[in-house]
Amino acid sequence: MIQAIRSAAAGTLAALLTLAAPAVPADEFTEADLQRWNDQFMDVVEEGRRLWGSGELGTNRLACGQCHPNAANTHPETYPKFQKQLGRVVPMWEMVNWCIRNPLEGEALNPVDPRMIALTAYIRYERRGVPMEPGKH
Amino acid sequence: MKRFITAPAAEPVARVTTHAGPFRSAKIHRPLLALLLGLLPAADALAAEAAQPATPLGLPPLAVPADNPQTPEKIALGEKLFNDKRFSSTGEIGCVSCHEPAKGFSDSPKPVSTGVNGLNGTRNAPTVINAAYLDSQFWDGREPTLEAQSLQPFVNPVEGGLADHRPILDVVRTDPDYRAAFDDVFGVSGEDVTMDHVAKAIASFERTLIAGDSPFDRFYFGGETDAMTPQQIRGLSVFLVEGRCNSCHVIEQDQALFTDNEFHNIGVGINDVEEEVPQFAAAFLKAKNAGADVDKTVLTDPKSSELGRFAVTSDISKIGAFKTPTLRNIALTAPYMHDGSLATLEEVVEHYDNGGFSGDSDHANAYLSGGIRPLGLTEQQEDDLVAFMQALTSPKYAALAQQAQADDAAGAAPAQEPATADQEADQ
Amino acid sequence: MSKLNRREFLKGAGLLTAGSVLPMSLVELAFADAKQNFTFAYISDSHIQQIKGNQFVRNWDRGLMRAVAETNLLDPKPDFVLYGGDIAQLGSKPEIDHGLELLSALRYPVHYALGEHDYYLDLGEYWESQLGPQWYSFDHKGVHFIVLNSILTYQDWIDKWPTAEQRMATMAGLDNPNGSPFMVGGEQRAWLADDLSKVSLETPIVVLSHSPLQKIFRNWNFWTEDADQVQALLRPFEKVSVLYGHVHQIQYNQIGNISFNSAMATAWPWPYPRSYAQAPSHMPKLTVPMNRADPFFERDATGWQLIDLHSGNVDLHYALYDNTNRVVAFNEQTGQPEDTRYQDSGGQVPAQMHY
Repeated sequence: MIQAIRSAAAGTLAALLTLAAPAVPADEFTEADLQRWNDQFMDVVEEGRRLWGSGELGTNRLACGQCHPNAANTHPETYPKFQKQLGRVVPMWEMVNWCIRNPLEGEALNPVDPRMIALTAYIRYERRGVPMEPGKH
Repeated sequence: MKRFITAPAAEPVARVTTHAGPFRSAKIHRPLLALLLGLLPAADALAAEAAQPATPLGLPPLAVPADNPQTPEKIALGEKLFNDKRFSSTGEIGCVSCHEPAKGFSDSPKPVSTGVNGLNGTRNAPTVINAAYLDSQFWDGREPTLEAQSLQPFVNPVEGGLADHRPILDVVRTDPDYRAAFDDVFGVSGEDVTMDHVAKAIASFERTLIAGDSPFDRFYFGGETDAMTPQQIRGLSVFLVEGRCNSCHVIEQDQALFTDNEFHNIGVGINDVEEEVPQFAAAFLKAKNAGADVDKTVLTDPKSSELGRFAVTSDISKIGAFKTPTLRNIALTAPYMHDGSLATLEEVVEHYDNGGFSGDSDHANAYLSGGIRPLGLTEQQEDDLVAFMQALTSPKYAALAQQAQADDAAGAAPAQEPATADQEADQ
Repeated sequence: MSKLNRREFLKGAGLLTAGSVLPMSLVELAFADAKQNFTFAYISDSHIQQIKGNQFVRNWDRGLMRAVAETNLLDPKPDFVLYGGDIAQLGSKPEIDHGLELLSALRYPVHYALGEHDYYLDLGEYWESQLGPQWYSFDHKGVHFIVLNSILTYQDWIDKWPTAEQRMATMAGLDNPNGSPFMVGGEQRAWLADDLSKVSLETPIVVLSHSPLQKIFRNWNFWTEDADQVQALLRPFEKVSVLYGHVHQIQYNQIGNISFNSAMATAWPWPYPRSYAQAPSHMPKLTVPMNRADPFFERDATGWQLIDLHSGNVDLHYALYDNTNRVVAFNEQTGQPEDTRYQDSGGQVPAQMHY
C-alpha cells in the first residue's frame, strides 16, 4: 500500500516536473507591488532633489544645483572611471564626496548614508535613458 | 592583490593602503648607474658602458626625441659638457655649479642662484632630476625642451656671463678630448660642430637623470606596506584629500609625475608687489615688444621675474603664474618656490594652508589660481604632509647627498668612509 | 591707410598671438572710422552670496576680484565697463553692497544692468536706490547703448508669493520648475520703441540685457518670452548687437541684422543645455561651446570679456583663465559672429564636452 502511494506520489511529482516548463517565477510580484516600490524609489529621488538644491550639505550654503541644474554635467553613466581630481578610478559616490568636501566645503558622506543614496538616485534619475559609458572622461 | 585607498567613511581621513601596480621595468643595473653618476672626470672608459636607465618605478616610460637618441658615448659627452666650467666668462661656472648631483641637482640651500662674479639671479635653481619628463623648462616654461634650455644659462649675464656661444664652440672644436668625442658621437669636426650638438649631448645626459623608486613609489605602486612610516602614510592621505595637492602635483593610478605641467599663481612673491603690477607689467611688455630678451630680463629684474608665465605668453591670465615643479626629491632641494623664499617644507605647507600667502602678506593676490584656497589643516596634518614629502626622495640621490655630507663631516680625513647601510641596500 | 582688418593689423605687430588677450596691446588702434575707435569691458554674473553676517562665499568673491583686477590692467584703457546683471545671489542688501564694493575698485565708469538675482527679493527697490533706473539708454562715440531689465515676468506670478524670500528663492533656482519665464514686458517695449524712434537706422546699437532676448532653453530660463517682439523693434536698424548674461557660458548667434553674444560669469560656469537629457533645447548652431571646467580650479570657465567695437559690430575677447582664450568676432564677410580659432570645427582641440 505504502509502496503504491509512494509510486503514485512519485508519478505525480514526475508529472508536476514535466509540467514545469514554462517555469514558475521565484519572485512573484504584482502591479501594486511595482507601483509601491516605485513610489518608494521616487520618494528617495525627491529627497535627493531636495538635498540637491538645499545648500545644507556643505558649510557655505552652496547647493549642488547651482553648478549642476537638473544634475546636468554629472555624467553618472560614465562611472566608474578615472577621476582626475582624485587620481584614481572611482565610483560616482566618491566624486559626489569630492564635491561636498571641495566646492561645498563640507564633510564627506558615508557611501551608505541615506543622503548619499538619495543624491545618487536623483542624479541617475535625471540622466535616465542615457546609455552606459563607463570610463568615459 | 590590488588594494586601494579606501574612500573616506564618515570622516575625510582616508585609510590608505598600498596600491600595488605592475613593475614597469626590469631592475636597473644599480652599481653601474651609481658609478655613472659618481663618475670623476677621467672615467671615460667606464662611461662607455653607461646606458639609459630603465623606466623607474612610479614613472612612465621616458619619451626620447627621435632626433636625439641615447647612446652611452653621447651621454658621457653630455656629462662632460655639463660639468665643464670653462663655458663661462670667468671660467668658474658650469651647469654643475647650480645643479650639483649631491644636492639633488640643485644648489640647495641657495634661495636664488649665483653666477659669474658672484652675481645673483632672481630664481631658484630647479632640479634636473626628472626634468626630462616636463613639457617645458624653466619656472616660466620659456623653453620647450632640455636641448633649448641648455643653451640659455651660458649667455645670461648673471649665470655664465658669455656674450654669445662662440667661446664654447672654440673649446669644443679645439680641445682634443672634445674633438674626439664630437667626432665619435655625431660624426662632426671643426666648423661642423655646432651648439645644436652641444645641446643634444647635454640633454642626452640629463635624460639619464630620472628617478622614481622612492619609499612612496615602493609603497603606492610596489605593494611594500612598510616602505613608508605610519606618519608618511597619513601624510599621503592629507596630500590626496584635505590638502588637495594631487590636482597639480599629480599622482595617478599607476604613475606619479607630481606635476601637471601647468602654470599657476599660488601667491608667492607677487603678493608683495601686487599694487605695482599694472605698471611693471605694461613696462615689461613695452620692453619685450621693443626686442628685450625675456631670459635676460626675468633673471636680472626682480619685478619682471614675478610676472612668471605672463612674461613668456603676454597673457594676463598668467600673471604671477609659475610651473608646477615635481615634488620628487623635494627634501634635497630646499629652499622652495621660484624665488627660494620658503625655506622649509613646513613653511610651504603653511603657505598653502593659509590659502596662498605667508610671511609678511596677509591676503592672497587678486590673480590667484582658482585651485588655491585655505585648507584648514590641523598641525598634525601639516606635520604628516611634510613627512610624506620626505618619502619622495629616490635612493640614488639620497645616497649621493648622504655621501656628500659624510665627506664634509670627514673634512680632510683621508680615510675612506664605509658605505652606509642604505647605500649598500640600494646596490 | 587702407581699412585694415583690425586683427590682421595687430597680428602684424606681433601682439595678438594665439594665446594672448587683446588688452595688453600697446599699439594705437586704427580704424577706418575714428569715431568707432573704442573698447569697453563686460563683466557679469558675480553672484555674491552671503553665508552669514560679513561672511560671503569666497569662491564668488575671488571671481569678481580677479575680473576687476584684470580689467584694471587694460592698456589702452577701455572707455567704460558694462555690468551684465546678477551682482547678488539672493538680492539682499548685504550682497549687493558687497558686490558694489568689489566693483568699486574698477578704474572706469560702469553701466549696470540687473539680473533676476538682484531683482526678485524687493523688485529692484534697493538696486534702484544705488544704481538708478532699471532700464535706460545712452550714447557713446556715435553708438547707441540700451540697457534693459529683461528678467521681468508675469505679474500674477510675482503677486502670488507669500514672502519675498520665497519668491527670490524660487527664481534663484535655475532649474526650479516653479519659476516663471523672463520677459521685457509691454511697458518696457513701449519705452524701447519710443527710444529707438529717435535713433537713425545707421547708428550702431548695442543692447545690454540679462536674458538672451532669444528662446534657447526654457527649463533654465535661457529664454525671453517676448523675444520676437523685441527683435522686431530692433529689426529696422543696420547693426545691432545684443550682449546678454545669465547663461554663464559662451553663446553667440545671428538672427537677421542682430548679433547675440553672451558673457561668462565671474562666479561659476553652467553646463550647456544639451547636457540635460530630459528636455530639448535650441542652442544656436553657430556657437562653438567653451570647454567643460575642472571644478578643482575655481576660476576655470569663468571670466570676463573685452569688447571692441569696430565698424559698429562687436568682437568679444573672452579671458579664460585656465583655457585657451577665445575671441568671438563679427565676421564682415559672413555677417555673423564667429570664433576666430575654432569656428571651423576641424581646428578645434578636443574639448572636454559638456554632456
